[in-house]
Amino acid sequence: MNRQNDILEENITIPSETKYIREISSKILKILEARHIDESALFDIRLCVEETVRNAIEHGNHKEKKSRVRISYRISGDIFTVEIEDEGAGFDHRTLPDPTHGDNLMKNSGRGVYLVRRLMDKVEFNEKGNKVKLTKYI
Amino acid sequence: MAIKTENKNGLTVCYVEGEIDINTSPDIKKNFEKILSKKAPSMVINFSKVTYVDSSGLATLVEILKDMRTYGGKMKLCNLSPKIKSLFEITKLEKLFEIIADEKDAL
Repeated sequence: MNRQNDILEENITIPSETKYIREISSKILKILEARHIDESALFDIRLCVEETVRNAIEHGNHKEKKSRVRISYRISGDIFTVEIEDEGAGFDHRTLPDPTHGDNLMKNSGRGVYLVRRLMDKVEFNEKGNKVKLTKYI
Repeated sequence: MAIKTENKNGLTVCYVEGEIDINTSPDIKKNFEKILSKKAPSMVINFSKVTYVDSSGLATLVEILKDMRTYGGKMKLCNLSPKIKSLFEITKLEKLFEIIADEKDAL
């Protein structure tokens, strides 16, 4: 099957409410499933989209319902990308502690961004740190 | 979420079904608090029917492990799908948890 010319993209804006997270990931997964993307990639994409949208809602927008999260995904040939942007002040992703080091291993949080970095093929933050682009070769 | 438990020769086997994620974690934690209130000396969580785990799910499992360690209990995980097992490897949580192939390895 030649998927090269088959481009699909969509922009979605949601209020900062966690109830929308599953809705977003289900929508994306449904499209990818129809393209017969393998189970492992589907698992990774679901996890990374849900973790990143949740971070945008909880840490970026501090669950302020008036603040929005913008999600733009694109499937082009064998490349899946999604950009997730919140309206918060941003953060410096370079200063996040490594959850696999020392005492961090026993901590109850701090693994979300780490997993996203490991499961996606590319993770790019903007300078401000309120927008992230995830890429997965499917 | 109901978690089925069985006692097999002193070993508490817990069967979790579905997803261990941000949505189910509070309920799972509550269930395990009940299970651990009996201070089971040795427990294995069977993952054969677990289909998805996220970072909150991993955090919940770390909390359960810490709770068990407060009284010297031992905890193992079995029947993890390759995908879920890989999350433990990536996060190095495999160093904290004893991951075994199946229940009979814990008996």
